[in-house]
Amino acid sequence: MIKSEKTICQRMKQIIEESESNIKMLFKMPCIYARTSVLFELSANTAELNELCSQLIENENRQVQPTQSNITIEQLSQFTGKNGNPAYVAVNGIVYDVTNNAAWAAATHFGLTAGKDLTDEFASCHAGHSILDKLKVVGKLI
Amino acid sequence: MIEKNPGICPMLNASSGTAKNLIEKIKSEIMRNSLVKRDLIWLELTGCSGNIISLLNGSNPDFKFLITNMVNLIYNNSLMAAEGEAALDALVNKTGSDYILAVEGAISTKNNGLYNIIGRWKGEPLTALKAVQLLGDRASHVIAVGACATHGGVSAARPNPAECVSVQSILKRKVIKLPGCPCHPDWFLGTLAHILLYGEPELDDRDRHLLFYSMLIHDRCPRRSYFDNGVFATRLGEKTCMFKLGCRGPVTRIDCPVRQWNSYVNWPIRDDTPCIGCAMFGFPDSMEPFISYDTTRKR
Repeated sequence: MIKSEKTICQRMKQIIEESESNIKMLFKMPCIYARTSVLFELSANTAELNELCSQLIENENRQVQPTQSNITIEQLSQFTGKNGNPAYVAVNGIVYDVTNNAAWAAATHFGLTAGKDLTDEFASCHAGHSILDKLKVVGKLI
Repeated sequence: MIEKNPGICPMLNASSGTAKNLIEKIKSEIMRNSLVKRDLIWLELTGCSGNIISLLNGSNPDFKFLITNMVNLIYNNSLMAAEGEAALDALVNKTGSDYILAVEGAISTKNNGLYNIIGRWKGEPLTALKAVQLLGDRASHVIAVGACATHGGVSAARPNPAECVSVQSILKRKVIKLPGCPCHPDWFLGTLAHILLYGEPELDDRDRHLLFYSMLIHDRCPRRSYFDNGVFATRLGEKTCMFKLGCRGPVTRIDCPVRQWNSYVNWPIRDDTPCIGCAMFGFPDSMEPFISYDTTRKR
């Protein structure tokens, strides 16, 4: 689900407030176990902030998308991650760059290769997961 | 440990020593005579028997400790002294009593399992398929050891002429899965120790023992900083990140970077070999190509 910029910023502010309060607590907390627990909370907060930042960047990418190229399936087939070309894959009509994505070593992923429309394969393994938000959008599949 | 290495997270330190702690606990329970030895059946089915060889290489504890102090090893195709029908007697006679079943190798299903016959019982061939059906339902716990038993592995790789499947495909019950090609001795011994001490261990959503299978290789890879900074090896032998050569560490959930192999001395990435994802479901077909040179290094 794509969240609006306002929703993301509100959540970010909330996390920052929580974190500031946790940091104040840490200064006064004598018990190391409680401190560890608070540190874990802080760590979760920074992870969520990171995630929210990625979503903001993703939103930005989506906004500039119309100016980016529309990509045909033939053009997509060139982006295999071989011969110096980046590795692109398409899911639900959007083309993503997976060149440096950790799960796409050597531009392959669980027997799949880049340069293809992998909508069905994505749905069969990652339905309901928000992993696409973390990928760079490069265009629209036409 | 924490004082000596203030930069190392104590939680991760503790997790890498958990299997050892379990074995220490087993030893102390044995000393107090409060641990009951259980019977263990180890079936070698359609595979290379690499998992029993790996287990024989165990050092903490070693195989001798396993069979003298932890379990009565009732049956193993390679190691038992009895042979022929006498060996199968030991196997078939166990079906009425309490035992833990470990299975390595996949189950060949073509022609009703006739592609893998493990012995003859009263003149009839005993197939791998029949052995698992016979023993699987009645075991207190079933542990699938290695890639072939957990998901088909190499035995079920394309074109899979013997129509091999995993143990879980045959049994309608909980099967603890320890994928790996082969399974590390600690993964099996730690799981067995947990069963003996506390019963079924905590498993993930694919029935892997969380004690060993909770981290990605990528999470603890000593070459991770190279990945994060985009410094990639262009050929084998370079000491940087092997992601562009096809390393499967980022999708493989297991603790090799902290446990290491052959009595904890080395592991593939430290020896300049990319991870081939042998402990991940789908190996080997889904993890190929194991090495790739024609890639894109710059955006």
